[in-house]
Amino acid sequence: MSGAWKLEVKDGVGDLVFDNPGSDVNVLTSEHLGALDQTLDELARRAEIKALVITSAKERIFIAGADIRQIEGITTPQDALDKAELGKAILKKLENLPYPTVCVISGACLGGGYELALACDRRVASFSPSVKIGLPEVHLGILPGFGGSIRLPRLVGLLKGLPLILAGKRVSAEEALKNGMVDRLFPEKTLRTDAIAYAVTLKSKHRIPRKKGLGVAFFEDTPIGRAIVYHKARKDVLKRTKGKYPAPLEIIKLVGRTYGRSDTGAYRLESERFARLATTGVSKNLIKVFFLSEKYKKHRWTDSAAKSDGVKKCGVIGAGVMGGGIAQLVSARDLSVRVKDLHDKALSGALLEALKINQSALKRRRIRKHELENRMSLISTTLDNSGLGKCDILIEAVVEDLGIKQRVFKELSGLTGPGTILASNTSSLPVTRMAEVCAHPERVVGLHFFNPVDRMPLVEVIRAAQSSPETVERTVLFARRLGKTVILTEDRPGFLVNRLLLPYLNEAAYLLSEGLPCERIDRIAEDFGLPMGPIELADQVGIDVGTKVAHILQEAFGERMKVAPILEDVQKAGLLGKKSGKGFYVYDGKKRTPNPEVKAGSGSKITETDALKRMIYIMINEAARCLEEKVVDSAATVDIGMIMGTGFPPYRGGLLRYADSIGASAILKDLERFSKEVDAKRFEPSKLLVELARTGRTFHA
Amino acid sequence: MIKKIAVVDGVRTPFIKAWSLFDGLSAQKLGALCVSELVQRTEIDPDSVDEVILGCVGQPIDAANVARVVSLMAGLPKSARAYTVNRNCASGFEAVTSAAEKISAGQDEIVLAGGTESMSNAPLVFSKEAAGLFMKLQKARTLTERLGVLAQFRPKHFAPQAALQLALTDPTCGLNMGQTAEVVAKMFAIPRKRQDDFALESHRRVVASRDKLRQEIMTVHVPPKYTQSVRDDNGVRENLTAEQLAKLKPVFDRRTGTVTAGNSSQITDGACALLLMPEEKAKALGYSILGTIAAYDYVGLEPSQMGLGPAFVIERLLRRTGIPLKDIGLFEINEAFAVQVLACVEALASKSFAEKYFPGRQAMGEINPALLNVNGGGIALGHPVGVSGARLVLTCLKEMKRRGLRRGLVSLCIGGGQGGAVLLERESS
Repeated sequence: MSGAWKLEVKDGVGDLVFDNPGSDVNVLTSEHLGALDQTLDELARRAEIKALVITSAKERIFIAGADIRQIEGITTPQDALDKAELGKAILKKLENLPYPTVCVISGACLGGGYELALACDRRVASFSPSVKIGLPEVHLGILPGFGGSIRLPRLVGLLKGLPLILAGKRVSAEEALKNGMVDRLFPEKTLRTDAIAYAVTLKSKHRIPRKKGLGVAFFEDTPIGRAIVYHKARKDVLKRTKGKYPAPLEIIKLVGRTYGRSDTGAYRLESERFARLATTGVSKNLIKVFFLSEKYKKHRWTDSAAKSDGVKKCGVIGAGVMGGGIAQLVSARDLSVRVKDLHDKALSGALLEALKINQSALKRRRIRKHELENRMSLISTTLDNSGLGKCDILIEAVVEDLGIKQRVFKELSGLTGPGTILASNTSSLPVTRMAEVCAHPERVVGLHFFNPVDRMPLVEVIRAAQSSPETVERTVLFARRLGKTVILTEDRPGFLVNRLLLPYLNEAAYLLSEGLPCERIDRIAEDFGLPMGPIELADQVGIDVGTKVAHILQEAFGERMKVAPILEDVQKAGLLGKKSGKGFYVYDGKKRTPNPEVKAGSGSKITETDALKRMIYIMINEAARCLEEKVVDSAATVDIGMIMGTGFPPYRGGLLRYADSIGASAILKDLERFSKEVDAKRFEPSKLLVELARTGRTFHA
Repeated sequence: MIKKIAVVDGVRTPFIKAWSLFDGLSAQKLGALCVSELVQRTEIDPDSVDEVILGCVGQPIDAANVARVVSLMAGLPKSARAYTVNRNCASGFEAVTSAAEKISAGQDEIVLAGGTESMSNAPLVFSKEAAGLFMKLQKARTLTERLGVLAQFRPKHFAPQAALQLALTDPTCGLNMGQTAEVVAKMFAIPRKRQDDFALESHRRVVASRDKLRQEIMTVHVPPKYTQSVRDDNGVRENLTAEQLAKLKPVFDRRTGTVTAGNSSQITDGACALLLMPEEKAKALGYSILGTIAAYDYVGLEPSQMGLGPAFVIERLLRRTGIPLKDIGLFEINEAFAVQVLACVEALASKSFAEKYFPGRQAMGEINPALLNVNGGGIALGHPVGVSGARLVLTCLKEMKRRGLRRGLVSLCIGGGQGGAVLLERESS
């Protein structure tokens, strides 16, 4: 046998075992595919074989997918086409074996792994939480290229298959059984023997399709029905991606031209579409972001030996929207959480906030009713300090006022022992100053969640001057337990995300006062790929909140962060944004129109390109300063922070990856021009950027 | 008892009139809120809790062994044990005394005991006959079969009975609880006016004790809207007058009766939890405890006179412990009905009663009304059946602490003809 594939034949049943040597993970490299090709030739010749099962020697993984590094390495469409065609040809051989074949899924079975499974006659899996099945290619900006785009919709039907590919969804074993992605489930312990017994009973390669209801038959089996499905899918995708991601649109087109039609040309077409996508910059950037986010899931930020966060019980001080959101998040991890505030009204508000988040999860079927009840009953509330003393972490989320926060920290410090982490959810105030008032200040740290807490995947952990490595590490581990991606920042005003985001919002406000209409500004940003324009974002955040942080930054960094006068005017006029119904826009239900009360400029001659450059380059320039000052450790951290914290378009690879694609000298040239034409301070190029331009280097080494 | 069992602390939800603020809160939710609050307030390490024992009379049909459901919902470790007890109206007592027994026997060390009851959520039940038809209908396969079953339904099949009503009726003597109260009223010839006055005083005392009661009550933010934050019991009437009470019609005996809705306990939702452990354990953990369980007892008596349970059980408990009535500084007798509390007080003081029922012994003596139910009782607060026992222990211990008293005695009557009593002690200061 060749390489990773081992064939055993016993009593007429072949067991083809995949075992990637010297690795914990099974991935499908081109070498493994080549070896499979040879094995299949032999399998076709072996007359004594009556049935075949394909299994994995790894405990929790069947095949995690194709080797993403190899996909990343594809540079020409021809190369992509060849690779897809070759893979397909091999899987076709598998499909054409003269006896029944059963794929035995014992763990992760994704991408190329599931495409292999689809080329088998039947699929079985184990009752195990480690089973995850799906075709997540779309997340990497490509489509399943080994026949999966054709076979999955045919297997489970168009209505189920198309969304699975479009969303790149990974499903559990139970779900896979329900929607037809697998045919049987067996206990983990006896999976292999049960699968073999099942394979032996199979009389034919042909699989009797499940019966369809009339409605389903209409949408899947009539041209009109299908047209409706494709139209709807396209509309949904465009709404979600604003057309920035070519892969899902290609998938719809491809399925549209292959589903319910003959094989002729279908597989070739899939390869062609795959080749078109695999070489795009979008895909390359998405792959980079994928590796980046995998890295940051495990990244060790300190040399502390802490293995766990040691948190059994958590307290939240301050029952605002953030406090309620944090409490919900903690309770969702089956941890008890005590929420303190000074008023019953605030406490019930926090409970309501938590309930709303859970109800929306219930509505989206992420959780079940009993889980909602269990989570809610883990949240308790108090007006005094009862129940806080034994918490392992206390998260302060009171108003952004250093004096008040110091008072809270002092009180908490007296209440708890040195093992209790005291974390502040401040967005911009110095954590070091909070640590100053505490006994054992080494246990004080910043833990900055973003709003809405349940949806935003990032948290910033802020290392105060006094924070011990153990405190930082435990906080990082705790945040990860809450399902967040963590970046570590130093205790500088605005930390990373707000320090970059505020100048961007501020610049948008300057553009507005110079006469660019707010809708145009927002559209420019959205066209760039940001999820929301800056003016709308300012309204969403709250003008009062935004200006407060902006002032803190102005105080810290001087003229270069001078708050746009129009922001102050709007705040003084009491226009607080979406929460008050009026900000830069007026909100009426789902409709929004520019607010005539805002005294914006008019007749601007600024080009859209320049407007965009001013907003984005000001962030790049500030990010360079953050690197100079070592607020964060690397360009990669800036990128992951901006993608996860602000929704900076992943397909652009991140803020500094984008900067690298433009080049430091081009950016520098524009910054110099803006500092002459617009404002000398705001656009004064950072040293690092000048240096990069001079030496021709990039942010990412 | 081998060890002294300490009640470290306790907490209860507000007692809320059934079908009002807590209508949407199941017994398990009420219990979980309360148990979790007690764990938080006492800062007991959840991993050290051995058992949760809760009284509950109307066990929720969707939460078998409701104590276990409460334990898990409150976030106690899955390894902690839990069971539900039912000694009807004394279920809250039973949870506490059961815990004391478990601890004494060395089976458990740290126990959360109490009760939870949502009388609002007592179900309506169909008759056996109707249920049979519904089952047949479900099994019917063809349309004709179905129509055949449907044809057998009669209007009476669609009139469900209230489980609450059934539970408040003693199946062995055929009387409901109010009717047993009327039996006692006639035995002791206690007039309507005295009962009403007693009821009025109960309300007056609760109103006067609002601040004190808050020391044992937790705030409940009521889901799912969370617009209400409930901090006080809501059964009490601030401006109740004797005239208003006098106007009410007798409920259980329309012509000759004296027991009205006004001088009976209310139907109520609530939960209560206490933390129990050996006294030396509490000391080792650094707790300053509320008090200890010194002794307890239960008796059986004629079911149709169940209201006299406290008289019988107090006699027995004091006889066995040798403690004279006058050495007890504070009494709580659950106010199931005003008449029944009054009758118990009379019985304990009565020579002829002692002669008849406790031959060869003296009457126990007079309970000073000023030391009885000093913060009001079930008439004003309500009587969530599975909870009241635990509530009496909590209320009495807190008041003993406030007054610096050494001994307190709590007792209640039990539907079905029993009485229960617990003797509480504090180290006198």
